[in-house]
Amino acid sequence: MKLALETRALGKTFKVKEKQAGLRGSLKSLFAPQWKEKTAVDRIDLSVSAGETVALLGPNGAGKSTTIKMLTGILHPTAGEATVAGLVPWRERTKLAYRIGTVFGQKSQLWYHLPPVDTFELISRVYELDRVDYARRRDRLVERFELGPYMHTPVRKLSLGERMRCEIAASFLHRPQILFLDEPTLGLDVVVKERIREIIRERNREEETTVFLTSHDAGDVERLCSRAIVIHHGGVLLDRPVALLRRELLSGKTITVTLADAEDPASVAEWFGRRAWSPMPEGVELAAIEGRRIRLAIDLARTDMNELLASLTQAARIADLTVEDPTLEDIIKHIYGMEKTKGGEPT
Amino acid sequence: MSGTARFLLASWKVNLASALEYRLSFFLLAGMMFVNNMIWLFFWYLFFGRFPVVSGWEMGDVMLLWAVSAGGFGWASVLFGNFPRIAAIVSSGQLDVYLSQPKPVLLNVLTSRMSVTGAGDFIFGIIVFLWVGELTPRGCLLFACALFVSGVLFIGVMVVAGSLAFWIGNAEGIAGQVFGSFIALTTYPTGIFRGAAKIILFTVVPAGFIGYMPIGLMRDFNPAFATAAFGAAAFFAAFGALLFRAGLARYASGNALAMRS
Repeated sequence: MKLALETRALGKTFKVKEKQAGLRGSLKSLFAPQWKEKTAVDRIDLSVSAGETVALLGPNGAGKSTTIKMLTGILHPTAGEATVAGLVPWRERTKLAYRIGTVFGQKSQLWYHLPPVDTFELISRVYELDRVDYARRRDRLVERFELGPYMHTPVRKLSLGERMRCEIAASFLHRPQILFLDEPTLGLDVVVKERIREIIRERNREEETTVFLTSHDAGDVERLCSRAIVIHHGGVLLDRPVALLRRELLSGKTITVTLADAEDPASVAEWFGRRAWSPMPEGVELAAIEGRRIRLAIDLARTDMNELLASLTQAARIADLTVEDPTLEDIIKHIYGMEKTKGGEPT
Repeated sequence: MSGTARFLLASWKVNLASALEYRLSFFLLAGMMFVNNMIWLFFWYLFFGRFPVVSGWEMGDVMLLWAVSAGGFGWASVLFGNFPRIAAIVSSGQLDVYLSQPKPVLLNVLTSRMSVTGAGDFIFGIIVFLWVGELTPRGCLLFACALFVSGVLFIGVMVVAGSLAFWIGNAEGIAGQVFGSFIALTTYPTGIFRGAAKIILFTVVPAGFIGYMPIGLMRDFNPAFATAAFGAAAFFAAFGALLFRAGLARYASGNALAMRS
């Protein structure tokens, strides 16, 4: 299969000035600065096939954004090699820019005081799009991304979700072969996140756009990507198909049950042990009891959610119930633990 | 028309649309800059009332000097409005969006902003020229040349100063100093400077080329000075572009939130 991107021992280090606290430290640093080399990306090897949807995951400071910036030609690496769409990003940046699209959650390409329609027009000139083709493409994207009501509203008056939809649509205008997204769902509510994932998935399906995204959100991985690469401390910790990852790691959910007022808070713990389940069903662990609230850790690989909820509602009158995904930090901690127990330090 | 020319035109149209989004602010800012420049001319009017000739310079020459300086600064700020902000853009990691687009990065950065006060400066320059300049085809052509050289020098010097941010990190302070002193020095008659100060004005901080324009180019056309002025403008523009290009390899990006306005 044709490769969309490949890296070999790609690395990036930054020189960071180290300063002791306080004024004395500042004065010392002024005359005798101390520099430390910080490894942001530690010689990683990646290979992504055309049409794949890949998530690059990791906690803050893991090197996700630095990796994406090297792959898009924004940053020059200090070690290793990379080709993206057949080009070396930092040497053939201009040519590459026609073949890729970028969405940086924190850095907007839309003009703040102008409606998106004006920025779309400018972008069409940036990518030198044929006028007829551009108009057709813009109208199609406006329809698919449901941007009609916002296209003539200044960006400053759009909600974050509306703005992100415009950002992503803008990045598709020139039909990129590869779309790089850096935290595209950061700060968005559940409904908007889901809509954004859906439209990216649709573009991937219809135009075979390769999607390479960084995220903090396990939901982005589950619902959008076919493969996940977890990086930690600049190196690749895990590279696995999401289906496998889901079975192994994303099957964990947390259910928080708030019992109705009629239940006596003081005896909830006793009640739980005595009446709820005895013994505890397989794949369910009692994580905590706080007042009338009970938190259960569920492994969906071993427990059926429907049966579990039916059993819970039979056992007690429930005032509220929430189901949460594990946080990415929890997943990474889990992976880290797994790799350690496999033998030695994780690679 | 080439793709880059069409892009430049579209960029300027977007800039203008963005500036006009707040009409009142647009007219107030442009108008205030016009008034501000007029106050300085009034100061010189009072000065020349007492000393009619200073080192060969008369009131009309100083007015033309202001027309060239403000007019050159004005068009540069309107069309390439980010030139005084290169250091801030580089050090705060705001080049990412420009680097991800297939257009020359420096040109893309420079044209991404239109300074509204620059429009006031430009209009001021034109009005002063119409007031005291030589309104012949030759006079107009020489004034246009003077405006061109002046604007290119402003851009070139500030791109050089701003590009230092790739090497020294936070270069906003030094770029601000260069900007302030460069503008100030272009509004004084070059004739009052002597010795080392004059050498600096025609080398390191080439404000002298702008300051001497009313005499060396417009009043008594001096081919040697004209060649040197065009040469200095070309040198600083080329040096700025090369320095910026070399600096991109050292760009460190950042995580600051950024919107284009």
